Amino acid sequence: MVGLSMLDRKLFRDLWTAKGLLLAIGAIMGVGINNFVTLQSAHHNLSRAKVEYYQQCRMADFWIDVKKVPLAELDAVRRLPGVLEITPRVQFKAVVDLPGFDEPVNALVISMPDRRQTVLNDIVLRQGDYFPDRQDNEVIVSEKFARAHRLHPGQTVRILLNNRRQELAIVGTALSSEYTYALGPGTIVPDPERFGVLYVKRSFAESAFNMQGAANQICGRLEAGAGTAGDETLRRAETLLEPFGVFQATPLRLQASNQFLSNEINGLGAIATLSPSVFLTMAALVLNVLLTRLVRQQRTVLGTLKALGHTDGTLVVHVLKLGIGVATVAGLTGCLCGHLLSSMVTTLYRQFFDFPELGGRVFWPIHGLGLLAAYACAVAGSLQGAWQVLRLQPAEAMRPEPPQRGGSVWLERLRFVWDRLSSDWRLVLRSLLRNRFRTATGLFAAAMGTGILVHSFMLVASQKFMIDFQFYRVTRSDIDVMLEAERGDELLSDARHLPGVDYVEPFLEVACTFEHGHARRKGSITGLVADARLTTPRDRSGERIIVPEAGLVISRRLADILQAETGDRLRVTPVKGQRRTIELPVARIADSYLGLTAYAHSDYLSRQLDEGPLISGLQLQVDPSEERRRELFRDIKRMPAVQAIQARREMIENLIESLLKSQQIMIVLSITFAGVAFCGSMINASLVNLAERQREVATLLALGYTPWRIGALLLRENLITSGVGTTLGLPFGYWIAWLTALAYDGDLVRLPVVGPWWVWTATIALAITFTFAAHGVVQRQILKLDFVQALNVKE
Amino acid sequence: MSPTATSAEPLLRLENVGRTYVMGEVSVEVLKHVNLDIRRGELLVMVGPSGSGKTTMLNLVGGLDTPSVGSIWFQERDLAKARATELTAYRRDEVGFVFQFYNLVPNLTAEENVRVATELSSRPLNVDEVLRLVGLEQRRDHFPSQLSGGEQQRVAIARAVAKNPELLLCDEPTGALDFETGKRVLRLLVDLNEKLGKTVVVITHNVALAQVGHRVVHLRSGEIRQIDEVAEPTAPEEVVW
Repeated sequence: MVGLSMLDRKLFRDLWTAKGLLLAIGAIMGVGINNFVTLQSAHHNLSRAKVEYYQQCRMADFWIDVKKVPLAELDAVRRLPGVLEITPRVQFKAVVDLPGFDEPVNALVISMPDRRQTVLNDIVLRQGDYFPDRQDNEVIVSEKFARAHRLHPGQTVRILLNNRRQELAIVGTALSSEYTYALGPGTIVPDPERFGVLYVKRSFAESAFNMQGAANQICGRLEAGAGTAGDETLRRAETLLEPFGVFQATPLRLQASNQFLSNEINGLGAIATLSPSVFLTMAALVLNVLLTRLVRQQRTVLGTLKALGHTDGTLVVHVLKLGIGVATVAGLTGCLCGHLLSSMVTTLYRQFFDFPELGGRVFWPIHGLGLLAAYACAVAGSLQGAWQVLRLQPAEAMRPEPPQRGGSVWLERLRFVWDRLSSDWRLVLRSLLRNRFRTATGLFAAAMGTGILVHSFMLVASQKFMIDFQFYRVTRSDIDVMLEAERGDELLSDARHLPGVDYVEPFLEVACTFEHGHARRKGSITGLVADARLTTPRDRSGERIIVPEAGLVISRRLADILQAETGDRLRVTPVKGQRRTIELPVARIADSYLGLTAYAHSDYLSRQLDEGPLISGLQLQVDPSEERRRELFRDIKRMPAVQAIQARREMIENLIESLLKSQQIMIVLSITFAGVAFCGSMINASLVNLAERQREVATLLALGYTPWRIGALLLRENLITSGVGTTLGLPFGYWIAWLTALAYDGDLVRLPVVGPWWVWTATIALAITFTFAAHGVVQRQILKLDFVQALNVKE
Repeated sequence: MSPTATSAEPLLRLENVGRTYVMGEVSVEVLKHVNLDIRRGELLVMVGPSGSGKTTMLNLVGGLDTPSVGSIWFQERDLAKARATELTAYRRDEVGFVFQFYNLVPNLTAEENVRVATELSSRPLNVDEVLRLVGLEQRRDHFPSQLSGGEQQRVAIARAVAKNPELLLCDEPTGALDFETGKRVLRLLVDLNEKLGKTVVVITHNVALAQVGHRVVHLRSGEIRQIDEVAEPTAPEEVVW
């Protein structure tokens, strides 16, 4: 300690003496800084990666899917005010047949220029070459898909394309910002084993799909800063292309991959501010309690130092340094842990999001801000102590502190209650009610800790509920087969004879535009057979909604967008066929957590469209045995006109596995953070309490109380604080979970807000556990107390 | 009297000093009509029973408090009108305090407790010499909890003296000590007065200690009742209480 002033030496030794308490506070502060650095770094990493990736790939601002448009007709779209450029392309869904992999694999085939040129939604080559032009059927496959199936340039891949089996020669692997979050049909998490994107030469695509000189998708970029004018431009482009059968017009904000990525970034951004704020507020409050106590404990010393001639400023800085000492250690530890954790979080994100570069960079400004936040928290927590120092009159300070203000507490006015309480309970309640700030701090910490637990558990419960609701109750088929185009029901018979098929239900998918008043949205109606068993819309309570013979059953989300209620009539314009606008009434509103769904009786739908009985796909219930499933998959892949196949079991397994990993990490972290909040605050409050009442405790021991009975007094205080705090925290946690669900509310997926009994039970059990764990530390201190010396403490 | 004892020139002059404390609706006049010169180089003892205003007097003289009425002159400065920062400077540069319960910093060693004061002074004494003076050079690295009461009081005296102040104010310096230890501390104070020429003011309720001073001020009910000149101060070793 050479070179340090005496006051600084005193500071270091004070810090060391109070190390247990300061460790508790430091832990809370450290968690706050850790959260800040982790989440802000992850947020910055993702945001930066998204911006750079989109720039690199020249991400489009809109997509318009049409039936077929001649390229010559696109000049009108190019010339639209607000449109910077467009890229027409051909894209189709296909089924991939991989040797040794029986399960169905879906693919999206997208055309790219035969020669490398600047296009929108460009690709980033990872391996191999861009169409070296040795063969027509060259293909560049998406990187994760290639890795999942050990595909390399030089190999071939077979796909079912436009009713024909085609063999494609792999020349490279690539990524594209368009499929950063690559979703296959009907899923909400990427499954690189069962979905891939295949990039083929335009000449090949034109020939394979009969699209010579035409396109079925137009990607476009708008002028910078288009804002809401961009929506208007998109509408005008859509109007221009209406004669060519517009299925879908998607602005960037509604593009699936971008939606998931942006939602994640926005969610991260919100929680990156909220979570650290909660912990740093807690730390400031707890530090306040401790430092106020320390200043009171040292009032004689501080008065003496003033008497010696130390200025108020010197002593205020001395007190502030105590808090700053804690902040330095907590801040640096939090920054280091935050950096390590952010690398872990970034790795987790790489599982879901395909970026060419997603590194765990160190953002020094974030670390700097984190440290600054720690210091701000420390100063805020030290202010009251510093104020007390300023107010200290040296003459008065060197007199013994007068006994604590006595007097009754408000509870004593309830005589019928108070008179029945034992001395122990009176001691406990008076202590809680006289030290209001300390009690309030404890309540706040317990409430925040509880809120964290409830929020995390509810998130897990919500995900589980959504999977259960959507994939076990609403959709009950084992296999869904999507056809390239509507067919007559002759395919039904073929399907029934497939190996392992127990039951088949056809469905009709009609892409259309819904309108109600001024509201408008593109979507589709799924026509179901009477008494459909494999798709059963449900209401909020999970009760099945029978699709009526007339009218639509629409999802709540769609109803909200269209501002429609039961009984309202929607104007529906199909994109295929006659494209005649019809009016259909809303018969019921169903709950759904995926997509914008609408159901109708398939016969009713066909009649309304003046079409004969058509089917767009088949839902199958199949024999669960592995051998039969393998045979079935083999035969389905050979079926003509199959565009996509979805195996529900594998999809759910992938969903659960993907979500489970992130859930496990989240639960562990949440329990840790909640534990720090509970224990840190409780230990601090109890030890300060003990220090202040040392003489009282020593007197009780001298009277004959056992250390365990003394401990029981403090435990009662802590149980009351944590009990009340937990009770307040339960609805708080529910509210945070509700906010989170709101933040993730989108057209593609929504989170339900559910709180099954285990959420509350687990939270309360953990709160009790933390309380007892914290008390263990306190009880140890009581057992170590030298009460003889404590009795001799000068008054 | 110390060899460098004063002429009649006072170090401090109290003119009609009074101090009233207001606590809610109650006013307590703790000191009234105090007129007193503290001579340079003297050892002044103030005696009085509990509640007589001795500590208040010490606090006023030491710049820890300001009078409600009157003036306290120090080198042509009226401390009664001084701002808080001026009083701090006065305490830092001119005054050393010794308290009844030592008031040492528990987390600093004996030497460090002395240095916490010398760091403030612009003309401090050598810390090693001061510790030798109080007989604690072998205990310099001990913390207060490792020292006896007498040793702690000697550290407090060393701390007060090491700043090299004009004035040493001692509030019941032997109050918490046993008889023999108290006499040793008293001897130290007398030595500081005689050998270093410090002006020492001791307040005590113990009338027996009054004999060691050059003058004795008797306080009762906040007023000076009597001031006695002591022709032949008694050596501390001969004092009995």
